[in-house]
Amino acid sequence: MANASVEFNGVWKKFQRGELHDSLRDLLPAIARGLTRRRPPVSELKRDEFWAVRNVSFEVSPGETLGIIGPNGAGKSTILKLLTKILRPTLGDTYVPGRVGALIEVAAGFHPDLTGRENVYLQGAIMGMRQTEIAEKFDQIVEFAGLPQFIDTQVKRYSSGMNARLGFAIAAHLDPDVLIVDEVLAVGDYGFQKKAFGRIAEMALRSIPVVIVSHQLDRIAALCTKAILLDEGRVIKEGAPADCIATYIAGQETVNTEHEGPDAGLIRSLVLETPRSVETGGRLRARATGRGDGLSRNKLADRSVAFRVRELQGGNVLFQTGTGQYEILLPQAGEYEVALSLQMNVPAGLYALDSFVWDAEAMAISHWGPSLTIEVSDAVEFKGSVQMNPEIRLETQPGTDL
Amino acid sequence: MSLRTIETSWVLDSDSIEQDTEELPPAAVLEPRRSLFAQLREIAVDELWVYRELVYQLTLRDVRIRYKQAVMGFAWAILMPALIIGAGTLVRYAMAYLSGTEIQLSAIAGMAVKALPWAFFVGAIGFATGSLVSNRPLLTKIYFPREVLPVSSTLAQTFDSSIGTLVLLLVLPLLGVTYGWTVLWVPYLMIVLFTFTLGTAMLLGCANLFFRDVKYVVQVLLTFGIFFTPVFFEPSMFGPTGSAVMMLNPLSPILEGLRLTVVEHHDLFRVLTVTGAGGDPVVVWRPWYLGYGTGIAVVMLLSGALIFHRFERVFAEYA
Repeated sequence: MANASVEFNGVWKKFQRGELHDSLRDLLPAIARGLTRRRPPVSELKRDEFWAVRNVSFEVSPGETLGIIGPNGAGKSTILKLLTKILRPTLGDTYVPGRVGALIEVAAGFHPDLTGRENVYLQGAIMGMRQTEIAEKFDQIVEFAGLPQFIDTQVKRYSSGMNARLGFAIAAHLDPDVLIVDEVLAVGDYGFQKKAFGRIAEMALRSIPVVIVSHQLDRIAALCTKAILLDEGRVIKEGAPADCIATYIAGQETVNTEHEGPDAGLIRSLVLETPRSVETGGRLRARATGRGDGLSRNKLADRSVAFRVRELQGGNVLFQTGTGQYEILLPQAGEYEVALSLQMNVPAGLYALDSFVWDAEAMAISHWGPSLTIEVSDAVEFKGSVQMNPEIRLETQPGTDL
Repeated sequence: MSLRTIETSWVLDSDSIEQDTEELPPAAVLEPRRSLFAQLREIAVDELWVYRELVYQLTLRDVRIRYKQAVMGFAWAILMPALIIGAGTLVRYAMAYLSGTEIQLSAIAGMAVKALPWAFFVGAIGFATGSLVSNRPLLTKIYFPREVLPVSSTLAQTFDSSIGTLVLLLVLPLLGVTYGWTVLWVPYLMIVLFTFTLGTAMLLGCANLFFRDVKYVVQVLLTFGIFFTPVFFEPSMFGPTGSAVMMLNPLSPILEGLRLTVVEHHDLFRVLTVTGAGGDPVVVWRPWYLGYGTGIAVVMLLSGALIFHRFERVFAEYA
């Protein structure tokens, strides 16, 4: 069972909007309609129907981790339900080998009137674990959830956090052939989340196919070997996680971007000269090109080609600068290039480098240029929000025995 | 685990793949239907046998919930049959009074023997009809073969009824019943009853998921079903024709079979005729009733399981 890939081949899934006929009274008219009218083939949409997933194909080999990103309603949850076999595709094939470990709704099988212990056995069985297997791992599960003293208490007396922790602990001790993770990192307090994240990373290393759906883009970037970006049920990009994330972020911001306007020409493109991933403290070089045609000298004096670095997740702007700050006057004729070099003294994570035109007279951004996604990794781990180029060395008296 | 199957519901039509797959899905052709035997094997082996521990855990859950925080405790298991017997005794007393005879102990014993399987049927169907809807969170969130839900509901009711059966075994001698060799028929009849009940449970559980008013219809049918099923009375009371019609109820051969073997020491391979109220001979039992009851039960289970299996894949969308 191990070493098999997860495959989706041209998967389509149709849903119906509104209510499905729900009572026997509605059945007879529906049958009568069905008999008198031609039945449309499944591949056609009837009234109130829509495609939640359109022609999605991917393959996740053992050892690979696929991240699925996209806005709400893009079809992520539907794909997860197809992966966990809760839903069957309308068209196309899904192939999910063996036991699926789904870190989704990990406490769904709990019954409030049963004790924690009874629920561990019940939930374990629902997830497909053998009783002997649960008995073997029981102490580890309880230990992981941090609930040894409450295990014989009815679950209805648990807090929602305790509930979720116990559920996660059970799911985390399943030895799956495929691992599917959905936003469960939002389980429990900070300490438990760290523990849960560590456990997922550990499970992901077991050379099984892993699929992660999350809005926490930095987690996707940290865990995944590849990603797909979904929109309206379609795969609109697949490839390296950072590429998909960049497209996703850019796509979300195109709403604010004005491509037309007098200042649109001032930033035509933004390219990186260094690799997109840098180590903390490393230099990042980018180049923006543009033309000042059509703008008066006065106006150009107020315009600044500006850059800013912000956290991809959360969007905090960390640093912002531009030609204006350095009293650089943009030329009125011909193409120019603005070269930028930044020392990335920031913690590991995903960042966006945005370019824009600043109008100093109006005190406003007059045009948004392109954005790039930057991945920073730390060579030496540190805590805090700024990397301060530390130098630490041990100085000893001569003759000290090391 | 033998779950390594390609979940294919439709096969792509290769001719239509050339079209613009971005907006239009390829036309689908229905994959060839697998044989009924293959489907039944899938239900029995891949779903129920592989997930037998889940069946056990869910049954255990249902039993535990009933007895946890319950004042009555295990007395609950005999309350319903005891009430049915009480009501039946009242009815029979009135009938005896009207016809100027005495109520017989064997009549009460006969009702007691039939009250328990009836209580089992009513309990299991009532419970299993709602089993899919009441487990909605599970249906929409976790994959497992859905067959385990009606099966474990029926098994939980079996547990209840087993307690009642043990009590009944002790009580029957007090009502003058002596156990003869014909009680060997009892396990067989119980299996037939279980088969029929499980088939009905799967069918109704499935139907209730799609049509939420099925539950109410079932409630009404179960409430008044006792008047159409020989629990309080014997079919022979309706005369030769009435008796034959009454035996068409799929539960009649099972219930009457139990009464005849336990109380009347009758061998079900033989015909039994009694003298009716008008002096006419009334045939109480014909051997083919056994085949009829068994046949209906088997057909019910097979069709219930196959229909359930067929619609199982869309449960999550309707739940």
